[in-house]
Amino acid sequence: MNSRYEILMLTIPEISQDDIKNVETLLGDTIAKAGGLVISFERWGKYQLAYPVKKNEYGVYYLMRFEVPPSAVTDLISAIKTVFAIRLGNVVMRFIITALELDAPLTYQRPRSLEETPLRENVGNHMHKERKFPYDRSYGTNNNQLESDDIAI
Amino acid sequence: MTKKIKLKISARLVKKRSRRNQGNGVKACRFTGNEEQIRNIDYKNAGFLRTFLTERGKILPARISGTSCRYQRMLAREIKKARMMSLLPYSANYY
Repeated sequence: MNSRYEILMLTIPEISQDDIKNVETLLGDTIAKAGGLVISFERWGKYQLAYPVKKNEYGVYYLMRFEVPPSAVTDLISAIKTVFAIRLGNVVMRFIITALELDAPLTYQRPRSLEETPLRENVGNHMHKERKFPYDRSYGTNNNQLESDDIAI
Repeated sequence: MTKKIKLKISARLVKKRSRRNQGNGVKACRFTGNEEQIRNIDYKNAGFLRTFLTERGKILPARISGTSCRYQRMLAREIKKARMMSLLPYSANYY
């Protein structure tokens, strides 16, 4: 009964093939040493980030999934974190390790990358649909309006 | 026995009370009993999660979106994860 995990990594946009191979082999070796098995390593593509990360406005996402026997999990997670901190600090900007449910399907949905979307004028605009949000203003107070209070005793 | 002084309630308080009692009907949670919608709650699914943010990037409260408590908490957790990975914004005033 192996437990499944996934790592979503955000790398610098100008990452080279050698760098990403390095990432893959480093993580693969750490996982194999703990007795685990890499299920998948996918490249999502280049994305415009929601906010600049380490002064980069674009980034490339990679998703890696792997299986480990449950006894080796805690050591493996700390080993992965040290690998990211020490060896891959210049390349990988953010990462998150999530546990997957055992019987969950391996399909997922992700936003479209820059390589998949057709070129539009307003690339900076994340909203694919024009949506009206009437709930934007703070619900309780209207700071600008002066309301007349009837004070009476 | 002293006479009870009835204070006149201001118009603002009257409006506030009436707004608290009224509701636009019971909005159904779109997640309860709906397996595929629950599977959509994932930090990688930024397009789906974006429908639960306001224009300024704030998370919509459950009384507006109608989601039940359990799924609102799952939504909030996944939105915060996605914000950390820069798939969703924390706030809308970057550009």
